[in-house]
Amino acid sequence: MSLFDNTEFTLSAAIRGAGLRQTALSNNIANANTPGYQRQDVDFESALQSAMADGQNPDSLQFSVQTDASAPMQPDGNSVDVDTESAKLAENGLDYESLITVAKARLDILQSAMGGGA
Amino acid sequence: MGIFDSLDISASGLSAERLRMDVTSENLANAQTTRGANGRPYQRKEVVLQQAGGGSFGAALAGVMGSTSQTAPGGVEVAGIVQDATQGQLVYDPGHPDANAQGYVRMPNVEPVEEMTDLITESRTYEANVTAMSTAKSMYTKSLDILR
Repeated sequence: MSLFDNTEFTLSAAIRGAGLRQTALSNNIANANTPGYQRQDVDFESALQSAMADGQNPDSLQFSVQTDASAPMQPDGNSVDVDTESAKLAENGLDYESLITVAKARLDILQSAMGGGA
Repeated sequence: MGIFDSLDISASGLSAERLRMDVTSENLANAQTTRGANGRPYQRKEVVLQQAGGGSFGAALAGVMGSTSQTAPGGVEVAGIVQDATQGQLVYDPGHPDANAQGYVRMPNVEPVEEMTDLITESRTYEANVTAMSTAKSMYTKSLDILR
């Protein structure tokens, strides 16, 4: 058995995903007044879920930024709603912080098992 | 993807919105200017924004190949500042030095109410970019906890 199990890899993949999602959501807000801009998002949760269902190693998972064509468009072709984006951004930030907290707790457990003192 | 990408993106949003605010303020300041830089009535200016990195070869190729995924988000950039060419209204003011033979003065095409609403949009978007930036900052600080 290796030192890091699948949960650890899944956590680190989710942290990567949330980091990329933060970039995409920031980009939406920066382009809130760009005519013709379509909002982007990263659906890392479902990518992770399908990887886990297939038994794929989540560590090798690559997330991508997708254009969200379903969002309602304003007359200038822009589909960013600053309020929705801010809410998503706050949610993603909290997701990220909770993932970090869990990862940290698991590392602390490992460290105390190794007698490293934590 | 670099860890500070989203800070750079929010920074590009901040400077774009600040420039828009500068231009809107200039329009407001010149709402009554009948002698612009070229001696004609002032014409309102507008900032044109475009998605940064959108014109890259990779983005164009991905679009042609029908791929839904995009190149890394790159923020926003200013494509240019354009002049609004619509005519301002004529105001009857025979005593004005710029009045024509009939006593009418061509005023700038600045509509103060329009500029004020633009200003509100710009300052709200600026605030949203600041919020995005502080979320990113707290995320990065939190991830340092792992090392502690």
